[in-house]
Amino acid sequence: MERAFSVGDVCLSPFICSATVKAITEASACRRHQFYACKRNVVSTPASSEESFLGRHQFLLYRLFSLAGLIPVGAFLVVHLLTNASVLGGAASFQSRVDLIHSLGPILPAVEWAFIFLPMLFHAVMGFVIIANGMPNVGSYAYMGNVRYTLQRATGMIAFAFILWHIVQLHWMGAPLGGGKFDPHHAASSAAVALQPVLIALLYAIGVLSTVYHFANGLWSLGITWGLWTSPAAMRRANWLSLVVGVGLGAAGLGALAGMRSIDIEEARAIETRMDRARQMLKGNSVSTGTAVHSTSFQDVSAEHASEGIAGGSAATEERN
Amino acid sequence: MIQAVGKADATSHGPVPSATEAREVRVRVLRQDAPGEESYWERFTVPYEANMNVISVLQRIAARSQSQDGRRVAPVAWDCACLEEVCGSCAMVINGRVRMACSSLVDNLLKESPGEIELRPMTKFPVVRDLSVDRGRVFRSLQRVKAWVPVDDSYDHGSGPRISPEEQEDAYPLTTCISCGCCMEACPQFNKIELVKRDDETDEAFEARKREAYDKQFLGPHAISQAVLFNGHPTGSMNADERMQALTSQGGIQMCGNAQNCVAVCPKRIPLTRSIARAGRAATVWAIKKFFDR
Repeated sequence: MERAFSVGDVCLSPFICSATVKAITEASACRRHQFYACKRNVVSTPASSEESFLGRHQFLLYRLFSLAGLIPVGAFLVVHLLTNASVLGGAASFQSRVDLIHSLGPILPAVEWAFIFLPMLFHAVMGFVIIANGMPNVGSYAYMGNVRYTLQRATGMIAFAFILWHIVQLHWMGAPLGGGKFDPHHAASSAAVALQPVLIALLYAIGVLSTVYHFANGLWSLGITWGLWTSPAAMRRANWLSLVVGVGLGAAGLGALAGMRSIDIEEARAIETRMDRARQMLKGNSVSTGTAVHSTSFQDVSAEHASEGIAGGSAATEERN
Repeated sequence: MIQAVGKADATSHGPVPSATEAREVRVRVLRQDAPGEESYWERFTVPYEANMNVISVLQRIAARSQSQDGRRVAPVAWDCACLEEVCGSCAMVINGRVRMACSSLVDNLLKESPGEIELRPMTKFPVVRDLSVDRGRVFRSLQRVKAWVPVDDSYDHGSGPRISPEEQEDAYPLTTCISCGCCMEACPQFNKIELVKRDDETDEAFEARKREAYDKQFLGPHAISQAVLFNGHPTGSMNADERMQALTSQGGIQMCGNAQNCVAVCPKRIPLTRSIARAGRAATVWAIKKFFDR
C-alpha cells in the first residue's frame, strides 16, 4: 500500500503534476496524488475580477472542442483509415483513392488546412487546456469510467505526438525536416518504404490504436456532453456503439499498416508508374475528360499502350518524378 | 487491524481473554492544527466494540486524547451531526475513498484494508482543523444555480401545479442529495480552491473574495443535479433560464469530463450522470435557442 519516496522524487500523477517531493513526511508520498508533494492545483491567489475571454466563452469553446473531435477531425480519421486500408486490395486500389484525393489539385492544401489541420490544432490546444485543468485520480478511484477518463487524456497526448510526427514523416510539409516521404504518385510503395523499419511500424501501431481509442471513447463521451444518451441504460448501449466503432477502426488502421508493409515494393512501384503515365496521358489528350481519370483503372491503359502512345510525354513524367 | 492480542498466547497460557475484549482498532489520522499549516500523521488505538462506525472510533479517540505511543494529544476534530447519512457533514477520505464517516462501519473497513483504518480530510476543500473542512463551496454552487423554488412572499398563491407520480418518482432520487461534497471530492475535474485571509481583510471581504474565486471554477456534480431537479419542477421551472445561464457560464456543465466518479461515490446513489447528461441536453437546446433568439 505504501510507496517509498525520497526527496527530489516527482509526483507520480500521470501527466500534469510533476511536483517534487520537498520533505519526507508520510503525507509527502503523494500516494493519492492530491497530497503534499503536489499543491499544484491549489488556487492561492485571488482570481482577477475581470472575466477572461476564455472564461466568457468557456461553454462555447468546450462545445466546439467536443464537436471538432467528431466533425471534421473524427470524420477525417475514419476516411483516412479506410482509405489506407484499401491498400489491402492492392497498390492500384490504394493509388486510385489517393489520386481521387489529389484530384483536388491546387486547392488541396486549403482543404487540408481548413478541414483537417486547423480544427485538429484547435482540438489539441483545447485538449491540453482541459488536461492541465484536470487531476486524474485513478489510483484512488479505479472505476471503469475513471480509467476511461484517464486513458482518454493519455491517448489524446499520444495521438497529438504521433500525428505531429506522422505529418512530418510523410506529408510534403515535412520535407524540410527530413520527412515528407509520402509520394502521392507512388502512394503504396513510398508508404511501404517509410514503414519498413520494425520500430516505426510499432510506433505506428501504438499511435493508430491510441488515436482510435481516443476517437471511439470520445464518441461515447460526446454523446453525454451533448445529451444524446442520458440514462445509464442508454449510456451502456452507446458503449457498444463506441466499441464497434473502435474495434472496426482499429482493425482498419492495423490492417492498413500491415497491408502497407507487406506489399511488394517493386511491383507496387511499377503499377503506380503505369497509372501515373496513364493519368498524364489522359491529361495531355483531353483536359475536359479529367474527371474520367479516376474511373479509368490502370488495366484499361496497358503499359505497352502507354509507352508507345505517349513516349515523349512519359519521358517528361519520368523527369518530373 | 483488529489485533488478536494474546490470541497466539491464549493457546499455551492460562485464562483466555475473550476475542472482543482484547481486540483493538488501529487508526491513522492525517491531522492539521489550523488552516494553511503543515499536516502530519498521528496513530491511535481504540478498543474494538461491536458495530462501531468511524464516528464512534473518533469519539473514543477524543475521550482518550492519547496517541498510540502514549503521548497526550489534542482530540481529533471532525464534523458530524445526524449520524444517519442525512446531514452530509461527516464526509471524509476513509481508506483512500471519500465516504460518510457515520455509515462507514469498522468491520467493513477492516475487511477492505486489514491492518489500519486511514482517515484523511477531504482534499478538495480547505482544512479547518484535522478532519473538519470548509464545505462552503458546496453551498456556493447551490446558490450559483439557484437550487430552490422562490415562493417567499406574503400572498396566498393557492396550490401549485400538480406533479404526476411518474415525474415525482423521477425527481425523488435527486431530492435526496445531502450536500456532503463526496461527488466533488472524487471528481478529477474539480480542483481545490484555498484562499488565505489577509491580515487587513474583513471577514466580509474575505467571503466575497472566496465567492469570486469559487464562481469561476467548476460547480460540481451536485449543483448540476439540483439545477436539473428544480428545472424539472413545474414551479421551479419558472426560473429555468437563470439556471441554464449559470450552467453554461464559466465553470458550468462544460467542465464535466465524464469520468463518472461522482455517481460511483455518491452515498445516496443519486443518478448524477443522468442529471449531467440531461443538463447537457438542456444546455445544447438552450444555447442554440439563445443564439437564434437574440
